[in-house]
Amino acid sequence: MTCDSVSNLISLYYYGELMPEEEDRLETHLAGCAACARELERHRKLAAALDQRTAPVSPLLLEDCRADLMAAVAGGAPRMGQRKGPWTLFLEAMASTFGGAGGRAPRWRQPIFATALVALGFVAAKMTPADFASLRNWGSVRGGANLASTTPDDVFSTVRSVQPDASGRVQISFDETHRRMVEGRMDDQAIQRLLLAASHEENPAVRVESVDILKSSAGSVQVRDALLNAVAHDPVASVRLKALEGLKPLSSDPEVRKVLSQVLMADDSDVVRMRVVDMLVERRDDALVGTLQSLMQHEDNSYVRLKCEKALKEMNASIGTF
Amino acid sequence: MGQDVAGAVGARVGPQVESLIRAAQRGDADAFEQLVRAYDQSVLRLAMNLLRSPEDARDVYQEAFLRVYRNLHAFRFDCSFHTWLYRIVTNICLDQLRKRKVRREESAVVETADGPIDRMDSFEEEGVDSNPERTMWNRQLKGKIESAIDDLTPRERMVFELRHYQGMRLRAIGEMLGTSEEAAKNCLFRATQKMRSVLGEFV
Repeated sequence: MTCDSVSNLISLYYYGELMPEEEDRLETHLAGCAACARELERHRKLAAALDQRTAPVSPLLLEDCRADLMAAVAGGAPRMGQRKGPWTLFLEAMASTFGGAGGRAPRWRQPIFATALVALGFVAAKMTPADFASLRNWGSVRGGANLASTTPDDVFSTVRSVQPDASGRVQISFDETHRRMVEGRMDDQAIQRLLLAASHEENPAVRVESVDILKSSAGSVQVRDALLNAVAHDPVASVRLKALEGLKPLSSDPEVRKVLSQVLMADDSDVVRMRVVDMLVERRDDALVGTLQSLMQHEDNSYVRLKCEKALKEMNASIGTF
Repeated sequence: MGQDVAGAVGARVGPQVESLIRAAQRGDADAFEQLVRAYDQSVLRLAMNLLRSPEDARDVYQEAFLRVYRNLHAFRFDCSFHTWLYRIVTNICLDQLRKRKVRREESAVVETADGPIDRMDSFEEEGVDSNPERTMWNRQLKGKIESAIDDLTPRERMVFELRHYQGMRLRAIGEMLGTSEEAAKNCLFRATQKMRSVLGEFV
């Protein structure tokens, strides 16, 4: 057996996964080859280092998982692939509105339900502003024939309430949203204003994207403030992390440092605090000493603690406050 | 790192587990719960070790045992229950790992000024006050280990996890992953080679 073939087999040997005859040949080689014996020793050390890497399972997590599972099973676990989408849920809500609690729709009400479905199908489709204009008057809900007309704008709607009346008609209240497309460069003020507004959008994916684009223009005060606002207040850690990336070149700006110090003290994400501590300790100032000393009182992430400790030592400051 | 479950890996179902399965198949909720309790610690440990996120591990647990619940009636005792269960669990975990490859920012490894660090770090704190340099070096090693593991393909990672941490034989791993023992062997070989090349300076 050559050294090359031993090198290829050594991990399988370590895990006891060689055939007996291969194992014998490899051991004979190892007995007479110091280099391969050292290779095996390195493999053992690697395995020992890897052995230490285990993520602990908290008994509380296990108990939570068991409780959730048993609750799901007791409640009748939903079948995979048949989760109800918003549309199905809405239709069910409609059915119960028209059908009364807990029962099938009474026969006399069924035509009304059918009318409502027609109307809903219409409302859920894309509509032109002209269509909507014609719909503003409730009397025209039966219409919808001009759906085929086209427009560069998409219109979406959210149904807010549905009310049947005794005459067999239905009143549906909905919000309408128009979609427009604009294009432009980042130095275009209108584009920047839209991005700044998008950094506050409800949809976190939109916030991540807009902060990601804005971070390249962090030189402007409005953009810097938007990034600071995201770092300090956005509920989604990945948005905060994107904003931090944008603030990196500004880590010596006093305003930025002030907000970062507050984030370091209060953010509940380890990753955010790890990034913030890296940014803050790059530049040493008196204000930093107080922040780090206070942080050491309650910080439990060991990386953050180590960075604080190292920076405080280098600034000849004590680790704690007295 | 052993298996704590009823019935050894790769073995056919033991009599106690068999009676639990049969009772659960007849709709006995207590039997189903006992069956879950016999296996769920190792399932959760596998998910935590692979995904290093309590939230994701919880999702894997829930989805895996719900699939067991829904499909238990179709279990025909023609393989070990452990293998059957782990086929489900490893499939769900592989899906999660593949999604992670797309969403890199959710990785357990965080890039810091001192190199990659594992934010789920579970290593003992060793004398932080007495020797911060040494502690930092150890952290760097651990961070390196994490990024080396992160660079494995989901399948290599799964095989490595099952062999190194769960102590399963490659034959059983192949059976679980719907592949041959030889393919599992190749995966393990590639995984260890990659890790040796990344971690060579530390060991």
